[in-house]
Amino acid sequence: MLLKIKNITLSFAKGKDSFKILNGLNLDVPKGKITALIGGNGAGKTTLFNIISGFQKDFSGEISYCHCGLDPQPPLRLENLRADKISRLGIGRLFQSKGLLPHLTLLDNMKLCSNDTSGEFPFAYLFRNKKLLAIENEKEMKAKNILTQLFGENNKYLGMLNAMGCDFSYGEQRLLSLAGLFMGNYDLLLLDEPTAGVNPVYIENIKDIIRKMVAAGKTVLLIEHNMLFVKDLADIVAYMDDGQIKFTGTPNEIINNQEVKNSYLGIE
Amino acid sequence: MEYILHIVIMLNIYILLVLSANLPVGLANLLSICQAAFYGIGAYFSAYFLLQWNLPFVVVALIVMCLTGLCSLVVSFASVKLKGDYFVLATLAFQMIVFTILYNWTEVTRGPYGISGIPSVKLFGIISLSGIYGYFALTTVLSLIVILLFGNLKKSPFGRVLTAIRSDELTVLSIGRNPARFKNYAFFISAAFSGLAGLLYASYISYIDPTSFTLDESIFILTALFIGGIGNIKGPVFGALVVVVLPEILRFVGLPDAMAANLRQIIYGLILVLLMYFKPQGLMGELKIKN
Ligand SMILES: Nc1ncnc2c1ncn2[C@@H]1O[C@H](COP(=O)(O)OP(=O)(O)OP(=O)(O)O)[C@@H](O)[C@H]1O
Ligand SMILES: [Mg+2]
Repeated sequence: MLLKIKNITLSFAKGKDSFKILNGLNLDVPKGKITALIGGNGAGKTTLFNIISGFQKDFSGEISYCHCGLDPQPPLRLENLRADKISRLGIGRLFQSKGLLPHLTLLDNMKLCSNDTSGEFPFAYLFRNKKLLAIENEKEMKAKNILTQLFGENNKYLGMLNAMGCDFSYGEQRLLSLAGLFMGNYDLLLLDEPTAGVNPVYIENIKDIIRKMVAAGKTVLLIEHNMLFVKDLADIVAYMDDGQIKFTGTPNEIINNQEVKNSYLGIE
Repeated sequence: MEYILHIVIMLNIYILLVLSANLPVGLANLLSICQAAFYGIGAYFSAYFLLQWNLPFVVVALIVMCLTGLCSLVVSFASVKLKGDYFVLATLAFQMIVFTILYNWTEVTRGPYGISGIPSVKLFGIISLSGIYGYFALTTVLSLIVILLFGNLKKSPFGRVLTAIRSDELTVLSIGRNPARFKNYAFFISAAFSGLAGLLYASYISYIDPTSFTLDESIFILTALFIGGIGNIKGPVFGALVVVVLPEILRFVGLPDAMAANLRQIIYGLILVLLMYFKPQGLMGELKIKN
């Protein structure tokens, strides 16, 4: 298991009352597989992602992450780490309904996603300009390679590297944000509704990108409402309700589960 | 001629101040209303070092910039804990505290009497830079260097992270960068270069008192920044040009003597309001000011 989530409980205060959003949730994410998390609106899926990636604290429970590769090391506990630290451990994230950074070019957006932070110290370029330029060039090459691999030779994005993030359509921004995740050497990717607001042609593209992520040795945990997409792509589906994972199984098992049918899919 | 040179020197000093303000305000989205406090801290440190020690300009400049930069840490730490309006209030508090210290700690700062007889800076330790021509040359060279430096800084990977922080801190965190660290750097650099402006001002005018470094002055610097436009380099430079040169131009508009001063203020204010109304993103800015 790459990620083990144990007994997570979290409440939000709303006025005088407090609402239990997560209530003793357990989930295992196996390495190298695509796990899909489904559940109704407001079930707490995004909240769970926030907990894993360190944006939401004040919960109880354990999260252990085993980034150890071959040699056995004790898994790391993530509960008390800050979000940027968790990202540096190799957990990347696509946010629900966020696109590219609007005031940076596509190329800068991609470069920024790189896990190599050298040259980001102010005025660093004054002292080691040559080395820095080499690193910047390397990042640019990597970005171009990724775009070529994902969208084909001479695709239109290669010619738009200097266009601002806000100049791309929302769907394109989602695709390109996914592409950016290849820049950081992440092991685990948390994708929050990658297909929401994206047209069917792009959805095929996104499927393709996610398969390429797994082929590159990454593990994917994704939140999705599009069941056709989940059925096509996921190895394991976890159904979330009442602040817990109610069922885990293959896509077919979940789709045929009576409770999921009634309370989530809305079919008898 | 000397009058024009004086204006250019003041313009150069304001270019430093407005470009410095652009770093936290324009790039990192931290509305700081204590830029004049850094300017004042730099000026007072400079007065001390110029009066007590016989050091060459470069050495004084480095010391003053480092010390002023260190003072900025007080504000940076606040920026980690406080967001939005609360952060603005923290910088307001810092501005007030610095002014109060400069005004009331008379044994050290001579309070409202100010410090006079501040010597000119010594280039390379020997040549005493005197007179308006010398300062014209020095401030012009320095403001050009700072324009280049900040232009490059914005295009560098550091500038890229700051620009990202302005749009979305969560995304920055999620790609493994700690925004707090970058904000600290931005504030340090901003304060250091405001301190440098303070050094130039103190040694050029040779007299300083706390009234040059008030909240009004901070707001004046921000006004210049917003008029010129935030984010890029030409915006702040142009903003400094407008706020420094416009009042001087108004001097030459034939106004009746009796109310010239007041009328000038009104016209000046009116022009600023109209500029903000028709060009809310500033004259040359990179983007719209957002809240
Ligand atoms: N910071 C917060 N304070 C209070 N309540 C919150 C907070 N964040 C989320 N919630 C509540 O927690 C619940 C779960 O939200 P969450 O965003 O995790 O849902 P979701 O499963 O991702 O839904 P969707 O499919 O619509 O994206 C919602 O009822 C939401 O209102
Ligand atoms: Mg959600």
